[in-house]
Amino acid sequence: MRNKRMFLFEVARGFAAILLALAVAVIFIALCTDDVGGALEQMLLRPLFAKNGTFNANSLWVVLSRMIPTIFTGLAVCVMFSANQFNLAAEGGVMLGGFLATLVGIYVPMAAGLHLVVCLLIGAVAAALTMLLPALLKVKLGASEMVSSLMLNYIIMYVVLHFLNNNFADRSKGSTQTFPFLETAAVPDLVPNTDLTWGFVIALVFVALVAVFLFRTRWGYAIRMIGINQAFSKYSGMKVGSVIVLSQVIGGFLAGLGGGIEVLGRYSTFLWRELPGYGWTGVTIAILAKNNPLMVPFAAFFMAYLERGCELMRTNAGVPAEMLDIIQAVIFLFFAAEQFLARYRQKLVVKGAREEMKQAFDSEAAAKGGNA
Amino acid sequence: MWEQLFEMIFKPDFLFSVIRITSPILFAALAAVVAEKAGVTNIGLEGIMSITALFGTLISYWTQSWAVGVLGALIVGIALALLLGFFALKLKTDIILGGIALNMIGGGGTIFLLYLFTGLRGNTGELTTPEMLIPQVNIPLLKDIPVVGEILSGHSLLTYIAFFMVFLTWLMLYKTSLGLNIRAVGENQNAADSVGVSVIKIKYIALGISGALAGLGGAYMSMYYSRSWNSGMIAGRGFIALAAQAMGQGEPTGSMWSSLLFGLANALKNKMEGMQGMSSYLVASIPYVVTVLGLVIYAVATIRRVRKTRRAQNAMTAPAGEEK
Amino acid sequence: MPQSEYVVQMKGITKVYPNGIAANQGVDFNVRRGEIHALMGENGAGKSTLMKMLFGLEQPTEGEIIVNGETVNLSSPTVAIAKGIGMVHQHFMLVPSLTVAENMVLGMAPKKKGLFIDMDKAIAITEEYSKKYNLHVDPKAKVVDIPVGMKQKVEILKALVRGAKILILDEPTAVLTTQETAELFRELIHLKEQGFTIIFISHKLNEIKQITDRLTIMRGGKSMGVYNTAEISMEEISRLMVGRDVILTVEKDKAAPTDEVLRVENLEYTNDWNKKMLDRVSFSVRKGEILGVAGVEGNGQRELVDMLFNLNVPDSGTVTVNGKSIVGLPQRKIRDAGVSLIPEDRMLYGIADRGTIEDNLISNRIYQKEYNKGLLFDMKAIHEMSDRLIEDYRVLCKSRNQQVKMLSGGNIQKVVVAREFSSGPVLIIADQPTRGIDVGATEFIRKKLVELSRAGAAVLLVSADLNEVMELSDSLIVMNGGHIAAYFEDTSALTDEEMGEYMLGLKRQSDEEIGKVLYAK
Repeated sequence: MRNKRMFLFEVARGFAAILLALAVAVIFIALCTDDVGGALEQMLLRPLFAKNGTFNANSLWVVLSRMIPTIFTGLAVCVMFSANQFNLAAEGGVMLGGFLATLVGIYVPMAAGLHLVVCLLIGAVAAALTMLLPALLKVKLGASEMVSSLMLNYIIMYVVLHFLNNNFADRSKGSTQTFPFLETAAVPDLVPNTDLTWGFVIALVFVALVAVFLFRTRWGYAIRMIGINQAFSKYSGMKVGSVIVLSQVIGGFLAGLGGGIEVLGRYSTFLWRELPGYGWTGVTIAILAKNNPLMVPFAAFFMAYLERGCELMRTNAGVPAEMLDIIQAVIFLFFAAEQFLARYRQKLVVKGAREEMKQAFDSEAAAKGGNA
Repeated sequence: MWEQLFEMIFKPDFLFSVIRITSPILFAALAAVVAEKAGVTNIGLEGIMSITALFGTLISYWTQSWAVGVLGALIVGIALALLLGFFALKLKTDIILGGIALNMIGGGGTIFLLYLFTGLRGNTGELTTPEMLIPQVNIPLLKDIPVVGEILSGHSLLTYIAFFMVFLTWLMLYKTSLGLNIRAVGENQNAADSVGVSVIKIKYIALGISGALAGLGGAYMSMYYSRSWNSGMIAGRGFIALAAQAMGQGEPTGSMWSSLLFGLANALKNKMEGMQGMSSYLVASIPYVVTVLGLVIYAVATIRRVRKTRRAQNAMTAPAGEEK
Repeated sequence: MPQSEYVVQMKGITKVYPNGIAANQGVDFNVRRGEIHALMGENGAGKSTLMKMLFGLEQPTEGEIIVNGETVNLSSPTVAIAKGIGMVHQHFMLVPSLTVAENMVLGMAPKKKGLFIDMDKAIAITEEYSKKYNLHVDPKAKVVDIPVGMKQKVEILKALVRGAKILILDEPTAVLTTQETAELFRELIHLKEQGFTIIFISHKLNEIKQITDRLTIMRGGKSMGVYNTAEISMEEISRLMVGRDVILTVEKDKAAPTDEVLRVENLEYTNDWNKKMLDRVSFSVRKGEILGVAGVEGNGQRELVDMLFNLNVPDSGTVTVNGKSIVGLPQRKIRDAGVSLIPEDRMLYGIADRGTIEDNLISNRIYQKEYNKGLLFDMKAIHEMSDRLIEDYRVLCKSRNQQVKMLSGGNIQKVVVAREFSSGPVLIIADQPTRGIDVGATEFIRKKLVELSRAGAAVLLVSADLNEVMELSDSLIVMNGGHIAAYFEDTSALTDEEMGEYMLGLKRQSDEEIGKVLYAK
């Protein structure tokens, strides 16, 4: 029962963090525009509900489609953070995965069905391999995986841009992009004439896969235990170094996969000219989901909804969409704050402990019979 | 091609540009040094620099005075770092996550704030007036010395301040009692606590100083280097500074040298961008590759150094015949 | 005797911790001005707790403290320092990269021009005190570079420069070599001659005899009396220090040990500070026997256990389990060889605190076929095992999904024990298995240990709890100063007096007698 109470408390704390963030947002919105109510309406309601209260399906598809890459990066960060690795290279992984998947989609024709799978796999594996850099640096040399992963992001970006511009660009087009990839490599639409592709389904499948991996396999278990207590894991017989590397490689795989699915699903060519930003959203999602893969879709939905809301707020109420970053940061800060509302948690703990002790005392006294 | 490159590097104007490019990285690296010395990791430097760069420009625009602008950037930097401190020390948010949050605000939040304050979108180019820019200083006498004068004179005021800060930071850390307390708190909190030093207060102060230095770095970027503010202008310098601090072994002078190294890599990149046969993108990645290499070298060196220290310690305590 | 001659009086001190453990019970402790007074006792006797209260780190539940005739409330170290009390802890409170002088003046640095440290003054102060009290330190050297002996002197000087007239030294010779110890004693006598009062916490009899005037012996949280050092023999001290008020009786069948399982030969280890922690340690443990390792902590037991589980590597020597060497093997291979360890530090090694009970029960068997179905865990098998272990080991909890850190200490240890005992080990190493846990859990774990031993496991029991190590073990070895001081094949006739004498280094068996613990192959 205590677990449930603590769980509810954490949920309440999460809501408090979100409310605080919205309060901050309201203050900023008020500084931008006189119609605060209208702006809020855009941000909070419009993503799903039209003015007259009807459900806006088109907007729903937009929101869901936005979730596709961020579910993957959210999963990637969940895995890495579960092992306590602050690897932030999901950004680069997405871009690399998208790029390589596109190239295979353009230049290596294959039978339908197989083609897409191969494209995505190659993109994902490549991204996974690049994660060996920060991972091995950490395990073998103790070098901060955070700094090396951040640098990796920039390196990947420039390498991809180099090849994009110099070797694979379609010169006939105005903006920099590759040639279109073959039909067989495209991710088919889930809802016709929208951006919501089967990628969404694949994303959910992977949510399940990662959840199973983390909680139902020995490697996922090792990742989680090492994230909790490395000394314990080593003493218990787990190979700490290998598992740390594994966690980052898997993270890279997921990020690369997400990038591939996004490019092959939403677009017809590869046209990112800078890091798309899904990696950072993935970090927020992992924090919101508390590293639990099953909560990732909800967190991703929340972020996509907010993003759409801020977008609408910009279009219809003139408030810059970058409000999203501020909201994200505030939620982040309070969500991850252990001591936020800690007083109340303390009261819960004490109350729970008293109850437990009473229970325990009663049952032990009963067990001992007349020995007390 | 290589000859071309070689020729270019040994020209005074190249070395001049190295110093110019190093300065913001140096400010951020020193910020990282002070924070790390107190045992608080400030990875929000990227965000702080972006935000202070914006505010520096805005404040100097409103007051038409670069000096007030720089001061404003400094104060904003301190405020941001203290905010980070509040979340990390009081609310117990993981300080790494707190830094990431700061970076997020530095990303989109700055664009938002710019719009809020000026209605501009993402770029302040049109606002810039000469009064807003940090002046260049031509040092009399020095400027007339051939070669050396060309390299060292004519930099912005803040450039000289940046390098002077290396000395000031060293002075503060090693010659003042505040510095002593900072180093004690960072290395052995319990020891500091046991003699009555307020650990939390010292950590806040260290963060504040870190924010101030990062603020100067931000002001440098927007009020001299690029002469305006635009989103993304910090381009990872806040992160490179972390590597510079690590490579510099967490010391002010060491960090200066490693910052210069990254400045050099950046300057090289700039030079090579225009050259024939050089891909501007691959060249652009040079600073980041150098950073990773730097990390590797530093890590290997640290491992070796720890082994050596152990052996030396044992040699000292060997039960030899004579007493010391 | 007139009251004013006592510089410190602690009357009727009782300290009970929130978990119910009484560390001190009605202790009287008096120190005369200008004497060197030893506070002696085994680990857990309560001497550290008593001194923590004198230094303001803890507050007594009952009793009063009088310093220099004034009743005081030592609510924090700052207050204690203000009353002239200084403490030199076992783990130094020094900042490694700072110089000696900087460490000396930390928190009270002399300044010049308001902002800068007057380093010259700091060095001068250091030298002044160093000279005055004959504690040679190099003010300009960095603490990381100086030897342990000098570090200790710096700690003493730190206390002196803050005005301490009463010095508490907590096991000061634990980290020193013989030379450094001799030097320390010269310095302490010098200080005494200058009017300082020194309280010397230790369990080393020969040292106490060398420099102290009086000694107070503690045992089981109570004071066994205060004596003039010159008038009490080491045997008497040993008898008072090491003894059990209540003898634990453990029901067990007589052991019938068979083949050798663990064989340790000539284990040697010198630590990073050049202290020899293991000296020609050789012994073996047989199937069906519990071999106890007795001794005051700090005599090599920690290092020994670490070597057996590859948490540290010996300089030389062999360790084999059923003939297979396990030195330096990764923990998984050691476990595959049939070794289980109940670690002394259960929070660090024993459990993943944020994990569930089930998580903690399977950590040593995740690779085994019984618990895996192909790539996935066989959750049914795992759940069954968890529930079974929780029941068999009577772990008081809500369910197997409860976070381990929510359990009481005793139940946490039961989780550790359940995991380690249930993997069918041929060798169980139990390091302080019942430290800090409740009576019920303690009894249970001890019974289990005997059960497993009689079922054929070899058990190595390392324990500082005299009762435990004497009554639970079938045979035992006593460690002192890194070597085995004694081996007793049959513990049933062993007296507390004898134990004390071997544990405290008064007696030592011949190599031949000790050699018997290494059974013929």
